[in-house]
Amino acid sequence: MPRKIPWIIKYRPRRIGDVVNQDNAKKQFIQWLESWLKGKPIKKAALLYGPAGCGKTSLVEAAAHEYGLELVEMNASDFRRRQDIKRIAETAAKMKSLFARGKIILLDEVDGISGTADRGAIDAILELIRTTRYPIAMTANNPWDQKLRPLREASLMIAFKRLTERHVVTVLKRICEYEKLECEDKALYEIAKRSEGDLRSAINDLQAIAEGYGRVTYSLVRALSSYRNREYSPFEALQKMFNAKYIFQAKMAISQANIDYDTMMIWINEHIPTYYEDPEEIARAFDALSRADVYMGRIRRTGAWDLLSYVFDMMGPGVAFARRVYRYRWKAFRSPQRLQLLAQTKRSREVREGIARALAPRLATSRSTVKSEVIPYLKIIFMNNPKYAARIALGYNLTDEMVKWLAGHKAREVLMYMEKLSRKH
Amino acid sequence: MSSREALAELLWAEKYRPRTLDEMVDQKEVVERLKRFVKEKNMPHLLFAGPPGTGKTTAAHCLAHDLFGENYRQYMLELNASDERGIDVIRSKVKEFARTRVAANIPFKIVLLDEADNMTADAQQALRRLMEMYTATTRFILIANYPSKIIEPIQSRCAVFRFTPLPKDDLIGRLKWICEREKVEFDEDALEAIYEIAEGDMRRAINILQAAAALGRVTVESVYKVVGLAHPREIRQMIQLALAGNFNDARGKLRELMINYGLSGLDVIKQIHREVFSQEIKIPDEYKLIIADLAGEIQFRLVEGADDEIQLNAFLARLAYIGRKLRG
Repeated sequence: MPRKIPWIIKYRPRRIGDVVNQDNAKKQFIQWLESWLKGKPIKKAALLYGPAGCGKTSLVEAAAHEYGLELVEMNASDFRRRQDIKRIAETAAKMKSLFARGKIILLDEVDGISGTADRGAIDAILELIRTTRYPIAMTANNPWDQKLRPLREASLMIAFKRLTERHVVTVLKRICEYEKLECEDKALYEIAKRSEGDLRSAINDLQAIAEGYGRVTYSLVRALSSYRNREYSPFEALQKMFNAKYIFQAKMAISQANIDYDTMMIWINEHIPTYYEDPEEIARAFDALSRADVYMGRIRRTGAWDLLSYVFDMMGPGVAFARRVYRYRWKAFRSPQRLQLLAQTKRSREVREGIARALAPRLATSRSTVKSEVIPYLKIIFMNNPKYAARIALGYNLTDEMVKWLAGHKAREVLMYMEKLSRKH
Repeated sequence: MSSREALAELLWAEKYRPRTLDEMVDQKEVVERLKRFVKEKNMPHLLFAGPPGTGKTTAAHCLAHDLFGENYRQYMLELNASDERGIDVIRSKVKEFARTRVAANIPFKIVLLDEADNMTADAQQALRRLMEMYTATTRFILIANYPSKIIEPIQSRCAVFRFTPLPKDDLIGRLKWICEREKVEFDEDALEAIYEIAEGDMRRAINILQAAAALGRVTVESVYKVVGLAHPREIRQMIQLALAGNFNDARGKLRELMINYGLSGLDVIKQIHREVFSQEIKIPDEYKLIIADLAGEIQFRLVEGADDEIQLNAFLARLAYIGRKLRG
């Protein structure tokens, strides 16, 4: 089976012209980049900022491709590791040899650096900007945070606008044509509306519905996707959580899901083996989830709700970082079987408990002994000798449900004999 | 007796349970001493100790019957340490029970506490205080498989009675007696097989006999068939699937078990623990210990209130990983 490529990668812009809208940002960025190539940079770094999914990273990637530059990418979680920063710094400081390709350095999502804990990280980036011989592009959703001020001062600020619905729909339509996908226009507008200008999430939504159902209709969109910036549907949340590059993304995915965290845990429980195939990754992911569950149990018992953040830590980032190598993996996440199973097992357990409750006093023993020592033999009788079983059922006033539970596929016969015996009365 | 009742059938473990001390044919020394309490209409606190199925609970009921008559149960509070939720529940039930007045001819009431050795040392200390507090009106009969797990101060306040596994002849004799009454056909060696399997546990022996009789003539084959059916192989299969690296199938098996058998997570993990050391699970001993340790951790988490399926999935996933490492 061919590996499914996420459409946000398959259809990412190859050329600057492919980046939709953002004409102002593009013009500023090209000017800045060319000033570097001419050897007289306006500023050594550029900070591209704007809402999620409006094309910041895409523009940097497309420009690298178009100008034949090697893209050296670094993410927020690397910033705090000294040796990685040094490694990048060395690459950046190295003189360009005559024949080597030029480079562009991308520091993605710098607003993911957490305030006080990562003081060193901002300094390291400033040092990098000071010494670099290659252009440094940074991206951020929100550049106005106090801690980013030194970066703002050292950078050319390039603003990206939120995409309009019309632009989002244009891109979605193009993808539908490439994929030969049956799509209702109204459905695409609905996806665009809900994406609130976030093209990446709109494409993810489109793919989730297309691959889950083979077509994209208005009613599917309404049922399956939710409004952005407020909350994610469970499958979006899972997609974001599992594929999170950084811890904060995995956490956010969990906390913004439109289902409660108990249910979210059930979704994750279901889909760890959907996302992971390697036994080690599966084991590590379940280990993290089971730790989250332990914290959850403690909260329920003691009411210590401040433990909840540990639950989030383990069920989101804990599960996402069970991977051995990072690779964006697209998976179709379905509604968990467990939700129905849970009701079934709960009922089954209640019936068993009911039988134990009915028998324990009569046999002068504990319910747990009845369950382990008596019920197994009772089941044998019920599944093999319906007539005799019917008489025992009457002897203990067992309900129809209990009889069904004990007799399995022989239930009808047992009930029939019970009926007959009662009529003789 | 209505015809409906005549048609109804009981489990033989109830039907043939002795009702009076005279009907108890085993544990002769114990029974003799208990009869003396009936004669004197007085007794100390009692501790009945011995393996399962040796008549401890039955003896307690017979004693109460002989002391108080047919309606003895209204003067006896039956508690089971493993069914009650903690010492606080036990305390409040005992308090409530001890407070009610008794008829003039009843010398004291009885609190029967089964599986007392399942209580923690702290809970047993609280129990000891309870025993002292109500000793004027109430006697306790504690029942335990392992008397060594009962704290010293309780043991010293009780008359201790040791119940022993039923001797072969007595157990087989009892089974024969039941077969005659029930008009069940049987092979002699089938009853021997039941004895071997039950290891002196009368309740288990009778349950096996009744289930085998439900299949027809009681033969060695039908006895082994019953025992095989009573202990489903699914748990073992689940472990083997996981160790073969097949996490998804193992998980499917787990779900099946929980639905079809109504097993709780605790039931499953305890059975896993028993299975891991069986010969059928072919992995090196040191890995069996690693798995046992892991099972213990999971059991503890479940007792603490964690989610059955998540914890057991974590266990199976670990097994699958261990299995992969073992196969290189």
